[in-house]
Amino acid sequence: MSTSKNFEYLSESAAFSRVVDDVNKILDKENVSRDERNPFVLAVSEALTNAVIHGNKKDPSKKVKVTVTVDEKLMSADIIDEGQGGLDRIRTRKPSAPKDEGGRGIDLIEHYATSVGYVQIPGSGFKVEIRINRISNSVTEDASSGNGGINEDHG
Amino acid sequence: MKITVKDDGGVTIVNLEGRLDLATGGELKEEIKTICEKGSKRIHMNLQKVDFINSSGLGSLVSVMKQVRIKKGKLTLSNLAPYVREIFDITQLSHVFEIHETEQEALASVEKISAGK
Repeated sequence: MSTSKNFEYLSESAAFSRVVDDVNKILDKENVSRDERNPFVLAVSEALTNAVIHGNKKDPSKKVKVTVTVDEKLMSADIIDEGQGGLDRIRTRKPSAPKDEGGRGIDLIEHYATSVGYVQIPGSGFKVEIRINRISNSVTEDASSGNGGINEDHG
Repeated sequence: MKITVKDDGGVTIVNLEGRLDLATGGELKEEIKTICEKGSKRIHMNLQKVDFINSSGLGSLVSVMKQVRIKKGKLTLSNLAPYVREIFDITQLSHVFEIHETEQEALASVEKISAGK
């Protein structure tokens, strides 16, 4: 079975909890266990937070589009904001110091994701593509596809 | 996020319940600010019922820790779910915070320090 759904969020604080609820509903439908879902929910939440704050600069008239697809092998999310310069932000980011209050979101996404793609869409926005293999299928998937890693694309 | 506060022999115990993220972190910072302003210097946070935390939630905890340290206070954490503990480890914040397995263990550590003074 596979479930795919598109969501749209205004760039305001209500989006932070809504995205967690929306992603959890899809994971419930696909019977994804708590252990397996936590990294995915976290990664999507981090990408949406970045999209609202850094991409759309908290402008409530700007939207973040999220597409979530879950099947028996893969949990996948595309998060698209309306901002420019996302790729530069990713490339030039500095590691966070222990006592910094921010700057850990991308590190967490990259830690948990099987692969992450960053795509600057000229004149349109910035897309983050998160892919996490389902635990029960990840061993064969990794061995056969060579999936994994971080991809950058200028769109 | 639900925040409940109680006093236990000179230690302010803060129980957190729900999600700790950008939307709720501000509320936590305000609560701790109020506790510090009342003069409490020993603060313990029980995270047993935190079912979701992201980097913004971690950021609010770092902010709280700084707030407490400015007042020369001590902050301890306990009862982190395995998944939450893992996030502290990945981000290396487990080296920054004093984290105990249980609330009792954390309170005992505070008592030891108080007795030593």
